[in-house]
Amino acid sequence: MNKIIITVLGKDRPGIIASVSKSLYQMDCNLQNVNQMILQNQFAGFFIVDHPDSLTIEAISQQLEKDLAGKNLKVHADVVENRGNGKQKIDEETFLITTIGPDQKGLVARFTEIIASYGVNVSNLTAIFKGGDEPTANIMSYQIAITSDTDQTGLFKSLRQKASELGLDITIQHKNIFKAINKI
Amino acid sequence: MFNSQEIISTIEMVKNEHLDVRAVTLGINLFDCISHDLTVFKRNVRAKILRNASDLVNVCNSVGDKYGIEVVNKRISISPIALVGAPFSALQMVEIAHTLNDIAREVNIDFLGGFSALVEKGIAPGDRALIEALPEALAQTQRLCASVNVATTRSGINMDAVLDISRAIKRASLLSAADDGLACAKLCVFANIPQDMPFMAGAYLGVGEADAVINVGVSGPGVVKKAIERAIEEHPELDLGQIAEIIKNTACKVTRVGELIGREVAQILNIRFGVVDLSLAPTPTVGDSIGEIFQSLGLTSIGVPGSTAALAMLNDAVKKGGAFASSHVGGLSGAFIPVSEDLNIAEAAANGYLTIEKLEAMTCVCSVGLDMVPVAGDISEETLAGIIADEMAIGMINNKTTATRIIPVPGKRAGEKVSFGGLLGEATIMNVPHATNRDVFVTRGGRIPAPIHSLKN
Repeated sequence: MNKIIITVLGKDRPGIIASVSKSLYQMDCNLQNVNQMILQNQFAGFFIVDHPDSLTIEAISQQLEKDLAGKNLKVHADVVENRGNGKQKIDEETFLITTIGPDQKGLVARFTEIIASYGVNVSNLTAIFKGGDEPTANIMSYQIAITSDTDQTGLFKSLRQKASELGLDITIQHKNIFKAINKI
Repeated sequence: MFNSQEIISTIEMVKNEHLDVRAVTLGINLFDCISHDLTVFKRNVRAKILRNASDLVNVCNSVGDKYGIEVVNKRISISPIALVGAPFSALQMVEIAHTLNDIAREVNIDFLGGFSALVEKGIAPGDRALIEALPEALAQTQRLCASVNVATTRSGINMDAVLDISRAIKRASLLSAADDGLACAKLCVFANIPQDMPFMAGAYLGVGEADAVINVGVSGPGVVKKAIERAIEEHPELDLGQIAEIIKNTACKVTRVGELIGREVAQILNIRFGVVDLSLAPTPTVGDSIGEIFQSLGLTSIGVPGSTAALAMLNDAVKKGGAFASSHVGGLSGAFIPVSEDLNIAEAAANGYLTIEKLEAMTCVCSVGLDMVPVAGDISEETLAGIIADEMAIGMINNKTTATRIIPVPGKRAGEKVSFGGLLGEATIMNVPHATNRDVFVTRGGRIPAPIHSLKN
């Protein structure tokens, strides 16, 4: 069996996952992992599947497009490389960087540029809107993994400096504080 | 991964609701420092405290930074000086007080507690010397805290000690008259003193404790208040049972934060972790007040009828939440109602909602007792001793900790303002009826016997 990742994008509606999984089942593919999210009204689904040796990635892609025709969904399939198992490295420490303040263009680009320049990976990025018309209620949360090789002091200093330049309130906290408060 | 609500609620607790770790207190056993020679004793004490505590402040700050939660106070508690310094005279005890004050400055902590005596059943020479030394020791130092345990449920109330300590309080007040009797703010008189309390001024390291131990005092009245207000806003029909549940859940979260940080500090310092004291400890800041919680619950002010019931509910819910969050809960663990340290409580006293009698009644159902209560400077030793004895009786009979931290303010009368600065806050001097009476009851001395329910074996 070979592993591929299938991405399905489109306007959210009932039955998307049902259609995709039925199509994969009929091709004798085994679903290993599935995740989906909905941003506003847009659906994004990720399916990691094992497929029989007799099927090529192109064949799976074509069959899916055929089965999903008329539903206005975009399908993309790619080979999953076996490098790394996706698990956290032993010496990794996860921090959440949260910025609070007025929305402005280029916010994510500016912060992720700094994070990338320190060789640090963003494992999750969430934009949170608390609702209402409050202009300062725009919250961005970046989950990053710091290793023993990371210049943690330098990174945090650069992030705080950038937040100050942009008039944003920034909080940098180890993930365990969120765990202690919320995961009981 | 955390969802949006989890991220928002955590950030809110830290940023807007004053969630912090109120105190990380390093307890240090001084029994191996004992010597009959004062110079040797002071040298041993200094070496031992520096050996254990030199990194305390830096470690607390770095752990606080890591989690984005401030460790507001870093403190040290030590074995009772009346025991480890038993051979010394009162004058020598004052010298020890100066040494401890200097060490506290050296390791950059604001308070060091343990200038203490345990005299619930009798007064030994070391205890006598310490009590005699208290006024000078407290008036001449800034960072030293003292406590005297004069009663327990198992032993009764040592009324000789109650009167002695009242005299010491009066004298300490006079010696620090220029600072409105500030020396008395560093002295707690206890019934059933806990051995592992991280909060000042009563913290000391009990004789059954390890060589060194980290105890953590969490706080969070602001977090509890906001949780109640949010819940009532969303569901105005909530009953008190449901509100108690909200307080319990919130206390659980707050306690977990304290334990997380305490354990990490202990691990880095390679010192045993002791307990989390899950007290709701206020500061003189708006939004960080126990008094405001009473208003959130629907009372005009702390002190009006209903306040004792509200406090009983609050205190119990805090304990239940904390006990679920941590297996090692200790210290006082409840709600504090310090008058000058809580802006809202100070205002309630100034506006006549809260009297000393109501305050005493409320201490039956919460932790601590008559805490940071400024009274007129002309209060008699006998009346002061009477107030202390009453509070000790509440602790003794109810099998709980009670304490007094009463500050006679020289030259000032009830209704006048007094300011102690910083976390100690400011307040209006409370009226004590018949304050200048010299009733002989307390001068009879002896020991009020332990109650019948002390016979448990």
